[in-house]
Amino acid sequence: MFARFTEILVGVFMLLFFAAMFILAMRVSNLSGLTSNQGYEITAAFENIGGLKVRSKVSAGGVGVGRVTGIRYDSEDFEAIVTMKIDEKFDQFPLDTSASIYTAGLLGEQYIGLEPGSDIDFLEDGHEIELTQSAVVLEKLIGQVVFSRSGQQ
Amino acid sequence: MLDWFQHFGRFWIDLSASFGRAHLFLGRLLLSLPSLLVRFGLVVRQLYASGVLTLSIVLVSGLFVGMVLALQGYNTLVGFGAEESLGVVVALTLVRELGPVVTGLLFAGRAGSAMTAEIGLMKATEQLAGLEMMAVDPFKRIFAPRFLAGFIALPCLAAMFSAVGVIGGYLVGVEVLGVDDGAFWSQMKAAVEFGDDVVNGLIKAVVFGFVVCWIAIFQGSDCIPTSEGVSRATTRTVVYSSLAILGLDFVLTAIMFNV
Amino acid sequence: MPVAEDGSVTDALVEIRELHFKRGRNKIFNGISMDIPRGLVTTIMGPSGTGKTTLLKMIGAQLKPEKGTVNFDGQNVHRLGRRHLFDVRKRMGMLFQSGALLTDLSVFDNVAFPLREHTDMPESLIRHLVLLRLHAVGLRGARDLKPAQLSGGMARRVALARALILDPEIIMYDEPFTGQDPISMGVLVELIATINEALNLTSLIVSHDIGEAMSISDYVVIISDGAVVQAGTPEQLQQSSSEWVQQFLNGKADGPVPFQYPAPDYHNDLFSGDDSQEKR
Repeated sequence: MFARFTEILVGVFMLLFFAAMFILAMRVSNLSGLTSNQGYEITAAFENIGGLKVRSKVSAGGVGVGRVTGIRYDSEDFEAIVTMKIDEKFDQFPLDTSASIYTAGLLGEQYIGLEPGSDIDFLEDGHEIELTQSAVVLEKLIGQVVFSRSGQQ
Repeated sequence: MLDWFQHFGRFWIDLSASFGRAHLFLGRLLLSLPSLLVRFGLVVRQLYASGVLTLSIVLVSGLFVGMVLALQGYNTLVGFGAEESLGVVVALTLVRELGPVVTGLLFAGRAGSAMTAEIGLMKATEQLAGLEMMAVDPFKRIFAPRFLAGFIALPCLAAMFSAVGVIGGYLVGVEVLGVDDGAFWSQMKAAVEFGDDVVNGLIKAVVFGFVVCWIAIFQGSDCIPTSEGVSRATTRTVVYSSLAILGLDFVLTAIMFNV
Repeated sequence: MPVAEDGSVTDALVEIRELHFKRGRNKIFNGISMDIPRGLVTTIMGPSGTGKTTLLKMIGAQLKPEKGTVNFDGQNVHRLGRRHLFDVRKRMGMLFQSGALLTDLSVFDNVAFPLREHTDMPESLIRHLVLLRLHAVGLRGARDLKPAQLSGGMARRVALARALILDPEIIMYDEPFTGQDPISMGVLVELIATINEALNLTSLIVSHDIGEAMSISDYVVIISDGAVVQAGTPEQLQQSSSEWVQQFLNGKADGPVPFQYPAPDYHNDLFSGDDSQEKR
């Protein structure tokens, strides 16, 4: 009888665990982030990527479409090469799509925004985005403002 | 002065000797795990001892920790006008850090110490020697089930701790302090990654479970078989496990979240 | 009878040869040798702290000697691999001082434990065998009790039933009479003798209760200072010419074993002032 009681309680324990995992997976976190492993990789070269990191968001029109998967520096062209994985659902970006690095809010995280062009062919695995716009570096911006102000005076 | 050096030397010799014994012990422990496949009932009984009996303290602590996080987080965030992010703060703190760490500490205090005391008493009352003489391997019959059960129980408890903590944060944040219901959940959902945050938190809990059970069972079987020896081994289990959890947490956090 | 006139053993189940063992700096055994005759009740006696219990653990191969061999039925138990050692241990039963019953199991489950661990017998057969053993020790009615509810004597009887369940060839009793009231002592003495007789076992008792031990033993070994002082049948020992044996058997306070622990001269010691410098 005691064994039975023990086993029932252990069963309840495991059920509670599954309930907790369900809450953590469905309410607390975004489980779909895990499933977007299928997709295609494209690259883009930026002069300056600012605070962009691996796993930063890639979005188009404000909707997340992929993630940054790699960042390296090309020491021949003196550019940062960013690799990003785009979810396979979004496989119809025109070839002349442009990529820019934006900041979410004034001090938020940096992400890549894609702006579709009008080409009839689509980006595929291994393609490179030609049109890029670097991150806005706050210090540079402030420097420019100060410089132009002092120029006016 | 020379005496002092002698004691110091003795201390290190003893320490490294017990460190070596602990690793040999772990080796045998891991080798005995496969035998549990045929006798999972033993593990279920230990799951009751280390999991179910620790449940209440973990749930209550989780609820209160979540509630406190919401209060403290709200007071800080409201200064930036960012109280909508309360859900993010509460959930990330719980899932990444407090869930595994606090659960680990509670587990060491509740289940780990009980494990050490039980095994130590079995040693003191010659039950372990008795098993050996009945040609029963205490590693397979006594140690391995406890090890595996603790190993399973701790991540489960940590998940429950985090879930209950988020609910506690919700109760205080939304119901009491008046943070917007929708913003609380949606911001949390947008910021917390299942693969990164939740799974990494659980991996931490798995590691802590491994270490706590190892320490607890080893201390129990390595203790001096007297009532004083058992009580000292129990204290050591709690102290060593707590230190191990905090130290490992730092290392794991550095590996997981700083890449 | 496997014991000869001069106290030597002709048919030994356990042969101990030149055993050396140290615990820390204490020499427990200093080349001890003895034979345990097959089919008889043998008692190992000796003052406290002479390693009698350690000797039992050596025979069960729970402790390893530094030098020397222990042969059980011709096999050196310290040379066996784990599997074979466990096979040999199934042929030994051991009764610990405390009984060593598993505290989370009932009396019935404790006795059934070795069967459930080592055999695939159906539950009905296990029940049959367990009740048989429990009846033999007079505790069939106590089968549902927990070890914590048993008196010391009862716990030892349950442990005896458990030791008997695998039909061992030898049963080793570690201080079976210590701390028992006269009635449970009588019960245990009776049990050891009848069981040895009825099941054709070899019994090995470690004890310092001289009266009880002498009354049921066929063969007695007295050890002291890590070596055998004398071995033989109880009658042979009673007629021993050794002063030491006479002191031990008759329990005299002073004799070859001095009453005083080795100490400096009494007179000097009393008047030399404090000895804090000698301590440290």
